[in-house]
Amino acid sequence: MIELKSLTKEYKDKVAVDDLSFNIKPGVVTGFLGPNGAGKSTTMRMILNLVKPSKGEVIIDGEHYINLNQPIFKIGALIDADALNPKLTSFQHLQLIATASGISKDRVIEMLKKTGLEKVKNKKIGEYSLGMRQRLGIAAALLGDPETIILDEPFNGLDVDGINWLRSLIKDLAKQGKAVLVSSHLMSEVEAVAERIIVLAQGRLIADMSVEEISEKSFSGYLRIKSENNSKLEDILKKNKAYISKDGEDTLQVRKIEAEKVGILAKENNIAIFELTKVQPSLEQLFLELTEGKVDYKSN
Amino acid sequence: MNINNRKSSLGNLIKAEYQKVAFLKFSKVFLISIILASLTLGLIFSLTTSVTQGKAISEISSIDVISSCMLGVDVTAIMLIIFAAISNAKEFSTKQIHVTLAVTPNRKKLFLSKLITYFLLAMIVSFIVTALTFLAGQLILLINGSSMASLADLFLRQFILGTLFMPVFYCLLTVAAVFVFRSSGGAITFSLAVMFIPALIKMFSQSIQKIILPLLPQASLHSLSGTVSEGSIEILGIGASIILLFMWIGITSLIGTFQFVRKDV
Repeated sequence: MIELKSLTKEYKDKVAVDDLSFNIKPGVVTGFLGPNGAGKSTTMRMILNLVKPSKGEVIIDGEHYINLNQPIFKIGALIDADALNPKLTSFQHLQLIATASGISKDRVIEMLKKTGLEKVKNKKIGEYSLGMRQRLGIAAALLGDPETIILDEPFNGLDVDGINWLRSLIKDLAKQGKAVLVSSHLMSEVEAVAERIIVLAQGRLIADMSVEEISEKSFSGYLRIKSENNSKLEDILKKNKAYISKDGEDTLQVRKIEAEKVGILAKENNIAIFELTKVQPSLEQLFLELTEGKVDYKSN
Repeated sequence: MNINNRKSSLGNLIKAEYQKVAFLKFSKVFLISIILASLTLGLIFSLTTSVTQGKAISEISSIDVISSCMLGVDVTAIMLIIFAAISNAKEFSTKQIHVTLAVTPNRKKLFLSKLITYFLLAMIVSFIVTALTFLAGQLILLINGSSMASLADLFLRQFILGTLFMPVFYCLLTVAAVFVFRSSGGAITFSLAVMFIPALIKMFSQSIQKIILPLLPQASLHSLSGTVSEGSIEILGIGASIILLFMWIGITSLIGTFQFVRKDV
């Protein structure tokens, strides 16, 4: 397991990551979200010891990353798809990692096949598209069959087939019991794969919970209700601390109350319900709600 | 699944560093160019003694002919400085260092593996050039009807060994300098400055020369190769020369390692 304990990174002009603590759990796909400049990439780099924390630490199965003898068997990471020598071929790039780690050439071929790069393995990386470089980065991350996989914006540059492939790969890795941490700006992709969400904003942890938990706590989710007597129902629900807003003339948007309780209250007061629908917020809505006012870089 | 979960060894890291060089066409072309350029220039230096020294080949001692030809090794030193700087700095400029450090987070071990790899590479290149330029010098002597230089000559052996180590020294200095400056330009400038600064110091007074010149690598290298004249300011013992050269590489490496370990990538 990977434990982040009070991780902090201070630069001269800003605090990029501020007292961040969470665990990356095995068998779970964790979505790592945050607006631009939230500190996601800095956090991932601190996990890999590419960036030194100002305070706090990252513990990987009881050890610091620098003390791991063969870290690529513990953590595989795609941090930057451009962190490649363009003059090398993909085969050579993976071979370098394999040689340094004592991994056989067969594994290199296996990963090239798995990521669909076998046919272009002798082509220079400089001629690859972004999607191909992403695939190569993923191949490198998986080379050591690590227990934890960290992917920073892995969906960038992938076509529809690539996105579908990566989605099923991520889910498959979690099913194998691996811990997967995926950061992305593509909310739809994180929504499709993640069971747990960690949200960062301005370097601070905003949320760390399952997608269902966030959805329940969210103000974006509501009950859409139509009844024979909306005004009477509204009064009853307000007395029960629900938050009511109107959605057109004949529909109520009700928050902070369970659907079951609405049904019981309506029955007790002899109010017929014509519609009682639970509207779930999208991850994008949840994300915007959570990070409202906490964005460093925002367009006008 | 076919993964060999062996322990990370310095040997594996050295192999990987060698592959970083061997995989690139640029490296192979450049290394061959070093050998060819050094040999060519060495031949030019020895064939033009009538211009440079005002004496024909037949009027010069066999050792002087050999040493003129082996000036090609100086070319090797300069080209190895450029090669080592570009090859190592490229890892930072392409951000490939991120991948390297993810695989090998122990930065001191990584630095050591690079130093060892380039030491071996420089030794091979320097040996080839030294051997070729020596043989070329012998050939010139033979063609000109002069007696060939004998390896039984202690001075000649010392000269050959000392000359052989010069490109190796500057190559290692440059590798370390890349980690100090994190740029090829910085490393090249540093190593060339160390190489040529004695010429600048010689413009100063004797008192300044006496202090500075013996501390510079040139004094050690000349002393090791036996090319320092009797009574020269630069004359050092063999032991002192070796210690000084190790200190230059050691101190630069310490600073380079400190920078590498301390700075974020």
